[in-house]
Amino acid sequence: MASTNQQGVVGELAVAHLDAAYNLARWLLGNEADATDAVQDAFVRALRSAHTYAGDNAKAWWLAIVRNCCFSRLEVRRRDLRLVAIDQVAAEHGEDAAQRLLPRTEVDDVEYRAAAAQESAKLHHQLRRLPAEFREVLVLREIEELSYREIAEALGIPIGTVMSRLARGREKLAQALATNGDRHGART
Amino acid sequence: MSCEMSHYQLPLYFDGELDRAGSREFEQHLGNCHECQQALARLEELRGRLRDDSFRFHAPNALRQKLQDELASARTPQKQRLDTRAWMALAASWLIAVLVGGGASALWHRHQGSERQQASGQIARDLFASHWRALAAVSPVDVVSTDRHTVKPWFAGKVAESPIVDDFAAQGFPLVGGRIDYVGDTRVPTLVYRHGKHLIDVFVFPQPLPASLPATTRQQGYEIRTTRLGDGYAAVVTDMDEVELGKFMHLLGGVR
Repeated sequence: MASTNQQGVVGELAVAHLDAAYNLARWLLGNEADATDAVQDAFVRALRSAHTYAGDNAKAWWLAIVRNCCFSRLEVRRRDLRLVAIDQVAAEHGEDAAQRLLPRTEVDDVEYRAAAAQESAKLHHQLRRLPAEFREVLVLREIEELSYREIAEALGIPIGTVMSRLARGREKLAQALATNGDRHGART
Repeated sequence: MSCEMSHYQLPLYFDGELDRAGSREFEQHLGNCHECQQALARLEELRGRLRDDSFRFHAPNALRQKLQDELASARTPQKQRLDTRAWMALAASWLIAVLVGGGASALWHRHQGSERQQASGQIARDLFASHWRALAAVSPVDVVSTDRHTVKPWFAGKVAESPIVDDFAAQGFPLVGGRIDYVGDTRVPTLVYRHGKHLIDVFVFPQPLPASLPATTRQQGYEIRTTRLGDGYAAVVTDMDEVELGKFMHLLGGVR
């Protein structure tokens, strides 16, 4: 049973790391509406399981819950057939078909257009296209600046796996950029 | 330092996961290795571009406000004015989230099935990786101790079963401390001992290790030995020589 006090502690740490949580959800789910909903779900779950928080790394504990809520949503989406394996679609039907399947909101399009105006647009695009297991370690390490141990904790995987996924993720991203947007080059 | 070593060390250095001595050692290598210099420049370029503001999505203000409101009402229970229907809806959505979450994680795990085909090989890789990471880290332990009475309580609440903690300082193997590592997707308490300059990791498991994991596994001068530890099981990872390791295994065998 979570006491009000524990809920307060957990709720505060969740709000303190809200941008990190939202950024991870946004990269995993691809649009603002789903990311917002996932973070809200995660917040409710965090408060309810406040008593299980043993005082370890707060950020990692909270991000682990956010991530689970994101994957729950992805699974629902997959069942709705709004999203099948995006990489598979890209491989079989081409990049445009894959992009059409990615959920979009108005805000998303504005963001995307804004990003497209910049040199970083291509990298944005490649990171979105990366399989989730590589995308999440890259987001947590390069953008959120988590340590290997924090990432391992948030993802529930060994540090060795964090390191190998990070290495492969960086490699894939670098390759994708080097091949100048050629999608087949990005997939080897 | 061979360049193969540096390909392992380079990301650790770049990500700030090496201690000062390790960083200095790597920088000495870096000064003479063109290949590593180029690889480092590529990593820096990628990071520079990923740290651009456009890559970090900020939580919408409405979301922040909503969570703060929820937090405020959670703190003052008398203010919780959710009617029964709202509670039911919340409970139902939560239940669905849990059920779906289970499904999603099952799918995720199935997705990773290829990584798990060689269960024992994976365990050995995880054990070696944890040990090497600990060697390269600022500190190989999360709780520092030469006194088992501070190490054992530290594990309580963090892992399902706290391990039996013995100090073998008198026999030349002082207890350094403990940490928690992941092996597969399980949190495993790890006891850390030192012998001279050698670090010894003892990963403690309540269940037997897979029979396919041999009693001895060697890789790049490091060795995994499995043994019984009291009522549980342990995997020992170190680069000590055979004679010293034999003595240590004998000590562990005597733990009750």
